Amino acid sequence: MHITRRNFIRIATTAVASTAMVAALALTGCGSGSSTGAGSAASTAASATSTAGNVQLQIFAANSLQKALPEVQALYTKSHPNVTFADTQFEGSGTLVQKLAADSGAADLLITASTKTMDNAASNGSIDQDTRQDMFVNDLVIATPNNSDLQIDSVEDLATDKVSSFAIGEPNAVPAGKYALQTLKYYGLVTYDEASDGTVSNIVWADSVADKVNAGQDSVGKVATLIGSGDVQCGFIYTSDIYRNADKGIKLNYTTPAESHKAIKYPGAVVASSANADAAKDFMNFCLTDPDALKIFSEYGFELA
Amino acid sequence: MRAHTVHTAPGIGPRWLVLPLLLVCLLLALPLPSYAAEASYASGVPTAAATAAAPIEVDYRTNADVEVGEDHEAALMNGASFGIANYSRANTGSSRTYSGSSYGYRYPSAGIDGFVAVETPGGALIVYIPESTAQALGIDIGDAGFQRSFLATLSAIDSAAVNGGAQFAGTASKFYFTSEKAVSYDGSIYGFGVEVEEGYYYVTIVTPGQEDSSSRQVYAMTGNLVQASQVSIAGKPTGLAALARFFSNLDWRPLWVSLRTAGLGLLIIFILGLLAAWGTVQVSPRVKGILDTVFTIPMVLPPTVCGFLLLLIFGNSTALGRWFISHGVNIVFTWPAAVIACVVVSFPLMYRSARGAFEQLEAPMLDAARTLGWKEGRIFRKLMLPLAWPSIASGTVLAFARAIGEFGATLFFAGNYAGVTQTIPIAIYFDWMAGQTDVALFWVFVVILISFAVILFINAYSSRSQRYRHGSISEVQEGSEYERLSDCSAEAAEGARS
Repeated sequence: MHITRRNFIRIATTAVASTAMVAALALTGCGSGSSTGAGSAASTAASATSTAGNVQLQIFAANSLQKALPEVQALYTKSHPNVTFADTQFEGSGTLVQKLAADSGAADLLITASTKTMDNAASNGSIDQDTRQDMFVNDLVIATPNNSDLQIDSVEDLATDKVSSFAIGEPNAVPAGKYALQTLKYYGLVTYDEASDGTVSNIVWADSVADKVNAGQDSVGKVATLIGSGDVQCGFIYTSDIYRNADKGIKLNYTTPAESHKAIKYPGAVVASSANADAAKDFMNFCLTDPDALKIFSEYGFELA
Repeated sequence: MRAHTVHTAPGIGPRWLVLPLLLVCLLLALPLPSYAAEASYASGVPTAAATAAAPIEVDYRTNADVEVGEDHEAALMNGASFGIANYSRANTGSSRTYSGSSYGYRYPSAGIDGFVAVETPGGALIVYIPESTAQALGIDIGDAGFQRSFLATLSAIDSAAVNGGAQFAGTASKFYFTSEKAVSYDGSIYGFGVEVEEGYYYVTIVTPGQEDSSSRQVYAMTGNLVQASQVSIAGKPTGLAALARFFSNLDWRPLWVSLRTAGLGLLIIFILGLLAAWGTVQVSPRVKGILDTVFTIPMVLPPTVCGFLLLLIFGNSTALGRWFISHGVNIVFTWPAAVIACVVVSFPLMYRSARGAFEQLEAPMLDAARTLGWKEGRIFRKLMLPLAWPSIASGTVLAFARAIGEFGATLFFAGNYAGVTQTIPIAIYFDWMAGQTDVALFWVFVVILISFAVILFINAYSSRSQRYRHGSISEVQEGSEYERLSDCSAEAAEGARS
């Protein structure tokens, strides 16, 4: 195909111009889209400045709260009709902290499953330190499928022939995985290095467990799913995960000794750039004091801190 | 049961409560005197009580025929005069103070008339049935027959509601029944029907000399004992009713989000893909090589890489992203991000199909059009587009299918917000993760259906468009610009040869 230089320039210019135009179109679309968008700060900032107006709260909460928190939210909306909740994000705490770092306006309230992940959010400047408060405590347990005959009597059982596979959450994204790692280290089944921000590296498994461990799940819920489906014989999850994942067919088998891992605390804090800080704070307080909320958390195995 | 006590010891810590316990004994049945809140425990929380009587022996593990409601709130044993309603199970309680006073370790109880059954760490089940309930139902809680049917009913409802936790049927070996408001067992004082906030009752556990948090029990069950006629048990719907309920509970938003996202994405992809393909075939081979690589690379890269790069470009963590945000482009985790992610990932399919088709057009024919004085734009619209249309159409459909199926980049860049960015593939993943396998399977079925339709369409369309190549050109293209120009270019070619 023969083409003159002038022609080429013309075509190239047209192509670039049209691309720019479509891109601009897409981006203006974004502007209007963000008013319905779940995560954007603009959306929440636009919606309310005082508690009198309608408020939509976006919560980032540890994956383990997936069943309990929506029930408490519904309870809260009943008594506070002006407050609704955007689709709450239940993911591994590490993931949530990363998301908040990528988009500082993505949420109004952050609840993580470990002190360390909340510390990281604080050092990213994502949260308002004054509002930080421990909300729940939990236990680390070993769960097995409902129909399993396996009976775990100590963590050391994992090193024996009794157990051929077990799962933990990815330690840097999932606090339950980190606690599991601490417990396994306590029993001499693993060694690792821990940086000051809690990042774990150089994980070396003991020979007795090296070919049994599955440590790649990015949320504690997925560990529970793996156990329920029988893909692993057992796994480390929280007590509360037993109750919320019952339909996955898992049961509590063994509760790890509290001294084998750091205390499991769920801190909550209002996000620094939240436009609905008051409402977020009020909801947090509601979770900790309302008797009906207490009942819901009790059912799901979350103990108020 | 012997006398039970309540006392407060002003100024004396819990550690020393054992001594006053021996000195101060009041009948618990008496109205509780209200004390100034000087003691560490709130008034109303029993901190001393008589030891529980000897455990009863009861074999409740008969093949009792117990019907349990679908939501595990009610249960009724066949032939029993009473049933359980408002059942709930607290797997943990709380040692949190209320209004500055401590209530020991407490579990919620189903109102003032609610029964409570607590499994202690030592494997005993302490059952409290209020006097009022026993009277109203005309039951004697000491009667072995009642105890047996109560435990059988409780065990049945609990194994339905247990959710994988411990069950007393498996662990408890000793049973205690009481109507007293407080009872001491194994060093702990159990207080029943303690009102903490108006209308909210709890069972409180205080272990003298220990932190409240260490008074935690295995779990506590509560509910109301009611006349059998008052128990309503809603069974699980089956067959069509179950199906109807599945669909009425189904969240359809992933479908709409998918269609919306892929639809707008496709529009953008269509325009950009054609322009890019048109531009690429016109430029020199060297530039073409570079452009082609840039346009195709999203197809080769893992979608997570695309998502990650997009997050870096628009997110808060890079200077470029902050620049965008400060200029009002704050799109991370919003619907536009989902559209952009699906455009980036699906664009190469459209581009490559169109480019391939454009390249196969006969150059002499296009040149013939130019000799007739046609502008490039007219050539594009009147010649290139119609001739390349079959490939463009299949490219569009493929791009649409890819856009519908987009997962990695979307999850990375747009997140998982129900009704906003949660497309079908993302819904499948998260539904499965949340244990809603039936919903995940439904969406899998929908996706398979869509894919099937797409392939069927491409096959039908290409077999139709193939027909003119096999001689029936007049059928499709008679009188078209193409026909005239191909005559033209044939003449030109002949002229050139002769």
